[in-house]
Amino acid sequence: MAQGSTNAALSPWDVVALDTFQTPERTQASQWRRSWRAATTWMIGREASERQAKQESELRALPEIKLAHVAPSIDWRPAAARLEQALKPYHDAPVVLFISPPHGGHSAVVSHWAAQQGADCLTVPTLKELIDGNLAWVDSATQTKHWAIPALERHFLRHTHGLQGVRELFERALSGRLGQSVIGCDSWTYAYLQHAVGLEGIPVLTLQGVEGEQLAHYFSQAAGECPTVYSTRTGKLILTSESDQKAVFKELQRLAAHCRGHLGIAWHYWRERLREPAEDVDADDQQSEKAQPDSSQELWLLDALADAELPADTGDVATLLLHTLLIHGGLEDQALKHVLPFSDHEALNARFALARRGILSSQQGRWQVAPLSYASVRQLLESRNYLVDPL
Amino acid sequence: MDDQGQYAKLFNDIDSQALITLGVILASTILLIIASQRGLNWVANRLHGQVRFRVFALVPLTRLIILIAALAIAVPIIIEPSLRNMVTLLGAIGLAIGFALKDYVSSLIAGVVSAVELPYRPGDWVNIEGTYGEVKHVGMRTVEVQTPDDDLVAVPHLKLWDSAIYNANNGGTSLQCVASFYLHPAHEAGWVRKALRDVALTSAYLKFDKPIIVVAEEKPWGTHYRIRAYPVDPRQQFLFVTDLTVRGKAVLSAAGITPALLPPDAALDARGAAL
Repeated sequence: MAQGSTNAALSPWDVVALDTFQTPERTQASQWRRSWRAATTWMIGREASERQAKQESELRALPEIKLAHVAPSIDWRPAAARLEQALKPYHDAPVVLFISPPHGGHSAVVSHWAAQQGADCLTVPTLKELIDGNLAWVDSATQTKHWAIPALERHFLRHTHGLQGVRELFERALSGRLGQSVIGCDSWTYAYLQHAVGLEGIPVLTLQGVEGEQLAHYFSQAAGECPTVYSTRTGKLILTSESDQKAVFKELQRLAAHCRGHLGIAWHYWRERLREPAEDVDADDQQSEKAQPDSSQELWLLDALADAELPADTGDVATLLLHTLLIHGGLEDQALKHVLPFSDHEALNARFALARRGILSSQQGRWQVAPLSYASVRQLLESRNYLVDPL
Repeated sequence: MDDQGQYAKLFNDIDSQALITLGVILASTILLIIASQRGLNWVANRLHGQVRFRVFALVPLTRLIILIAALAIAVPIIIEPSLRNMVTLLGAIGLAIGFALKDYVSSLIAGVVSAVELPYRPGDWVNIEGTYGEVKHVGMRTVEVQTPDDDLVAVPHLKLWDSAIYNANNGGTSLQCVASFYLHPAHEAGWVRKALRDVALTSAYLKFDKPIIVVAEEKPWGTHYRIRAYPVDPRQQFLFVTDLTVRGKAVLSAAGITPALLPPDAALDARGAAL
C-alpha cells in the first residue's frame, strides 16, 4: 500500500488545472546559471567555462539499439488515462483545453485519449485552406458530438484570414452546438490565441511540472533494467537502481529545473546527452550484434546547460522567426512567408542559419525549436519582452 | 597692500607637486569619463528590454558623479575652501558667465538637471521642437538625437528650460505606433474595424501586454481609421507601422474597399491626421 502511494506520488502524469501548475524548485536559479554561463563563455571562452569531471572526448554516444532500451520513447497513454480522470469535474464544459510546451506531448496525450474514449479527431486544414479562411474543417466538427483536436496549433495561422477557423470553432463549441470536446494545444499557441481569439472561461489542464525525484523514478522505471548514470559535470552518481540514495536526485533536479519540469523535454536531454565510456567500443559492438544490451554498465550524462545556445546579440530576424515557430508549434518552409514580415528568401535564410546551429530541428517537414535549445530560446524571448507561454 | 595679500590668500601656493596632482586628477577624470561612457554604452547596446534603458540612464549620471568627485578633490588644492574664498570665487565666475558664457553654461546646468530629472536618456524616442528621433548620447552640453533619416542632431540642453520635450517611451519599452487608413465613406465600418484589429493581432512585431485600439473618425472626404498599437521594441516602430500599413491595405483592397480621394481643393491637415 505504502509502495503504491509512493509510486503515485512519483508519477509524472499528474494532470492539473493551469493555474496550479508549478515549475520545479530551483527553476529561477537555473535561469541565472544559464545567464552566468553565457557571460563566462563570452569572457573566458567555452572551453574554460566548461570544466568537467569527465571529458566528453573520453565518451561516445550510445548505439541506437542500446538507447532504445535505456531511454525508450515516452508512452503517453498513462497521461491520457489521467486526463480522463481530470476531466470529470468539467463534465458540463463544452470544451476543455489540454496544453503542453513544444515536445511536451499534448498531441500524443489527446490522440490516445480520443482513441480510448472513441472520440473523432478533426481533420487538419491545409495551408491553403488556412490562408483562404476556408471553414470546411470546422464543419466536420458538426458531424459528431464527441470529438477532439490533438494539436490546435495545426488549425490556425497568424495571418489575417488564419484566425477565422479557430474563432468559428470556439464560437460554435462554446454555444454547445458541437457537443463535448477536448482540444490539445501547444502552450505558446494557447498564449497567442488567448489574446487573438479570447479563451477566457475555457478550462485549461496541463501536466504538473516534474521534480528531480520524479525524473529519477521515471528514467529508472522506463529502462528495463535501471542503468547506473554519472554526471560528467561533477563525476557524481545521478541515477542508480538503489532507490534509497536521495543525494543522487540533485543533478536530476538541476535537469528538471532546466527543462521547467517538462518531461518531454527532459526525455530529449536524457536521450541525446547520455554517453558511455569510449574504451568499451569492441565490447559494445559485440553486444549490439547480439542485440542484448547490458544496461547495468555505467553511463554518463553530459551537462544539460552545454546545449545549443543563442548568443545575446541574436538579431531581430532570428528572434521573430523563433517566436513565430513557437506560437505555431512549428511551420513548414512554405508557410513562413505568410506569417513573417520578410521576403521568402530572408525567412529561409534565417531558418537555414538557425537550423545549421542546431537551434531548430525538423519533424515531418515542420521546423520547430529543438528540444535542447528550448530553454535558452524561451529565456531570450522573455528577456526581449515577447509573448511567452504560461508554462 | 592688504588687498593684494587677501587676493593672494584666495589661491593656495601652486607648487610642482600640486600641479602634478591636478594633472593626475584631470587625466584620471577624462579617462574615467571616457571609459564609463563607452563601457556603459557598449553594455547597453548589447542588452534588450528594460535593462537596456536602465543602463543607458546611468551614462550621464556616472559622468556627473565623476565630475563632482574630481571637482571636490581639485578645488581644495587650488583654493582654501573657506566661506569667504568660495563666495569671492563664485561671484567672479558668476560675473564672467553672466556676460560671456550665459547660454553655454545654461546648457551645462541644464545637462546636470537632465541627468537628475531624466526628461530623456539614451534609447528614448523624443521630439524636441520638431526634431524626432532616438537619443543616442546625452552629453554635457547637448543631447544627440538620431532621426529616422539617419541625421544626427545635437540639441542644446537649455531647450529644457522653455521647450516641451515629447518622450514617446520615457525610459521604457512601450512606444505607441499609429498606422492611418483613409477610406472612401461607402463601406461597412464594423467590418473594417474588426479587420484592422486582426491586422494588428497578426503582426509579428506586436507587443501583447498593451492594448490595440482602432479609432474611426468621420471626415468630409471619408473615414479616417487609425490603428494604435505597440511594437515589442521601440526600435521596431517604423517596421511595425509599415507592416500594419502593407497588410492593412491588402486586406481592405481584397474586400473591395476603396481609399478616400480628396477633392482637388481640399487639403489634408497632416499634423491633425497623425494625432
